[in-house]
Amino acid sequence: MATRRAFLAGLAAFSLPAPSWADVGSPSFLAAGKLGEGFVLHGLSVTGASTFSIPLPARGHAAAAHPTRPLAVAFARRPGTFALALNCQTGDVLHELAPPDGRQFNGHGVFSADGTLLYTSEVVAETSQGRIGLWATDGFRRVGEWASGGIGPHDLKRLVDGRLVVANGGIATDPQDRTNLNIDSMRPNISLLSPEGRIDAQAELPPDFRQNSIRHLALGPDGRIAFAMQWEGDMAEAVPLLGLWTPGNDPVLCPPRQEDAFRMKGYAGSIAMAADGTVALTSPRGGVVLLHDTLGTPLATHPRADACGVAAMGEAFLLSDGSGALWDCTAETLRLLKDSGPSWDNHIVAIT
Amino acid sequence: MRHLLALLTICLVSPARAEVVDVVKGHILPGYARLAEATRALSAATQETCDTDDLAPAYHAAFDAWMAVQHLHLGPVEDEGRSLAIAFWPDPKGSGRRAQAALLTGDPAQLAPEAFAGQSVAARGLMGLERLLWPEAPLPADACPLIRATASDLATLAAEVHKGWTGGFADLLLTAGEPGNTRFLSKAEVQQALLTIVVSDLEHLRDQRLGRPLGSFDRPTPERAEARASGRSQRNIVLALQAQRDMVLHLSPEAAKTLAALDHAISLAKALPDPVLAATADPSGRLKVEILQQAVEQARMVALEELGAALGVGLGFNAKDGD
Repeated sequence: MATRRAFLAGLAAFSLPAPSWADVGSPSFLAAGKLGEGFVLHGLSVTGASTFSIPLPARGHAAAAHPTRPLAVAFARRPGTFALALNCQTGDVLHELAPPDGRQFNGHGVFSADGTLLYTSEVVAETSQGRIGLWATDGFRRVGEWASGGIGPHDLKRLVDGRLVVANGGIATDPQDRTNLNIDSMRPNISLLSPEGRIDAQAELPPDFRQNSIRHLALGPDGRIAFAMQWEGDMAEAVPLLGLWTPGNDPVLCPPRQEDAFRMKGYAGSIAMAADGTVALTSPRGGVVLLHDTLGTPLATHPRADACGVAAMGEAFLLSDGSGALWDCTAETLRLLKDSGPSWDNHIVAIT
Repeated sequence: MRHLLALLTICLVSPARAEVVDVVKGHILPGYARLAEATRALSAATQETCDTDDLAPAYHAAFDAWMAVQHLHLGPVEDEGRSLAIAFWPDPKGSGRRAQAALLTGDPAQLAPEAFAGQSVAARGLMGLERLLWPEAPLPADACPLIRATASDLATLAAEVHKGWTGGFADLLLTAGEPGNTRFLSKAEVQQALLTIVVSDLEHLRDQRLGRPLGSFDRPTPERAEARASGRSQRNIVLALQAQRDMVLHLSPEAAKTLAALDHAISLAKALPDPVLAATADPSGRLKVEILQQAVEQARMVALEELGAALGVGLGFNAKDGD
C-alpha cells in the first residue's frame, strides 16, 4: 500500500515536467546487489559507473526498468509475494504490488514499450501453471492476466513489435519452500505471445533434454531469441545450456566444447546477446563466462568466480560478479571496469 | 633480537596470506609434482610391457597421485579440459568405451601424440587405461599401442598442469589483490576459491563416488562405482578424503571440527566391507555406505561453517543460490 509520504513523493516526482532517466544520470542498466547487510539498486553507465543508488528493503530477484521514467519494479525472490515500484530519484517505494490470491510472482517482469503496462511472470501457486500478470502503471492496478503457455514461467522479454517471449521453465514447485515437484515429467517450453496474449508460437526441447529448464532469455538484433537453461538431470551428462530460437522453427541447441562441457556445472545463470549477435552465457556455479558466435558456436571461455549478471553493451558485454566487480567482456578479453562494489546479484537489466 | 624479528615477521605476514602460501607450497605444488612424476613413470613402464600385472603398480601409483590433487578444480587443470582428459568419470553413456573401440581398430596415426591429444576426453586418461588394462570383454585388437599412447598423453597432461602452476598460476594466487592481477582481485577471492574446492569436492564425493553406486534403495547400482575394474572404488574414496584433510590442514590448521569430521569419514571409508562397493546391493552393506555418505555431508557442512568463519569468506553470492 502506498504511504502518504510515498504518495506525496510520487506526486512531486511525477508532476510535470515528467522526470526521465536523465534525471538519475542516464543509466544504461539497473543492477541490484548486497552491500554489508543491506541491499541496493544501482543505475550503471556503460563504464560501470554508478549513476544512482537507492536502498532495497530485501534481496530482490530481478528488476524491470520503465522505458522512459526513472521507475523500477523490483521483484521479491521466489516464492514472490510482492514487488515494489521504486522512484529511482528518491528511493521511495511508490507502490507495493501484491499478486492476486493464489498467484505468486516468479522473478521477472517487463514494461510495455509505452510504459503504460507492466507484465509479470507468475504462477498459480497450487499448480505452478504459468500466468502473465498485467498491471496498469498509473497506480499499478491489476488489469488482467494471460496464460503463459506452460509451467513455471521465469524470464520474459518484450519484442520490438510488442509481442512477449516467455521462458516456461517447466518446473512445478512447492508453493511454500520451492521444492521441485515434477523433475521426472517436466516439459519446459518457450512461448511467443501476441500483444493480446494469444500464443503465437511455441517450442519444446527434444525428449532427451526435457529436464533442461528454460529460464532466461536474450533478444538478438535479428529477431532471434537466445535462451539459457539449467539442467535438472544427471550431472554426469554433458548437455547444451544454450539454445537459439527463431519463432516458427525448431529451437537449435548449442553444445559447449567437449573440454568445457562440465564447467558450467549444468547451470546457466544469465544470458545476453550483443549487437553483433555474440551470445554470452554465465555460470556462477562454474565460475565461467562462455562467449559464442551468432550460430552458438563456442568462441571463448573466461574464468571468473561467481560471475552472473550480463547485459549487451554494443558489441561487448557488461558483466557483474558476486565479489563486487564489473567487467567489460568480449571473446578476446575480460577487462576490469570497476571493483569493490556491492555483491552484484543475478541479473543486469538493460534500460530500453 | 632474532626472536623479535621473527615475531615481527609473523605479525607482518597476515594469516590469510600464510594460509594461501601453505596450501600452494605445501599441498598443491607437491601434489602436482608427484602426479607428473608418477605419470611419467607409468608411461615409461608401458614402453617395457603392456601386461596388466606388471603395469598395475605404476598405474595405481599414478591414480593415487591423481587422487591427491583431483579436487583442485582451479587454474591449469581446468584449461583445455585437462581434468576431464586425466580422469573422465562418470561416463553413463559409455562414450569413452566407444571412442576407444574406434581407436583400437582405426588408423594408427591417431595414436601419435598430437593427434591423440585431440581425441575425445572420454577416451583418454586413467579411466581409458583402466578399460584397456582390465577390460570387461575381450578387446578387438592388441591394446598395447593404445595403452602406450594413453599413458604418454596422461604424462603430458600432468606435466602441463604442473608447469602451469609453477610457471605462473601459483603466483596469481600469491599476488592476489596486487596491481595487474585481474584473476584474483583480493586475497578473499583466493580464499573463497579454496573454500569452494573443499566444499565442492565433498559434494562430488557424496553425490557421485558414493551416490552413483548407491542408486536408490529399490534399485541399487553398484556397477556404477568409480574405478571398479581396477578395484579402486573404496581406495579412491579414502584418498579423496585424505586429500581433503591435507588441504584443510594447510588452509586452516586450527579447524579442529572439520579435521575431526574428515577423520571420522576416513575411518568409515576404510572400514567399508569391500573394495568396489558391491555391498550397496545388500541392506546391511548399503547401510554402511549410507552412513559414510552422511558423514561426508556432515564434514561438508562443518567445513563450510568452520573454514568459512576462519577465512572470513563464504561461497559465492550467486553460486550458492539457485535462480
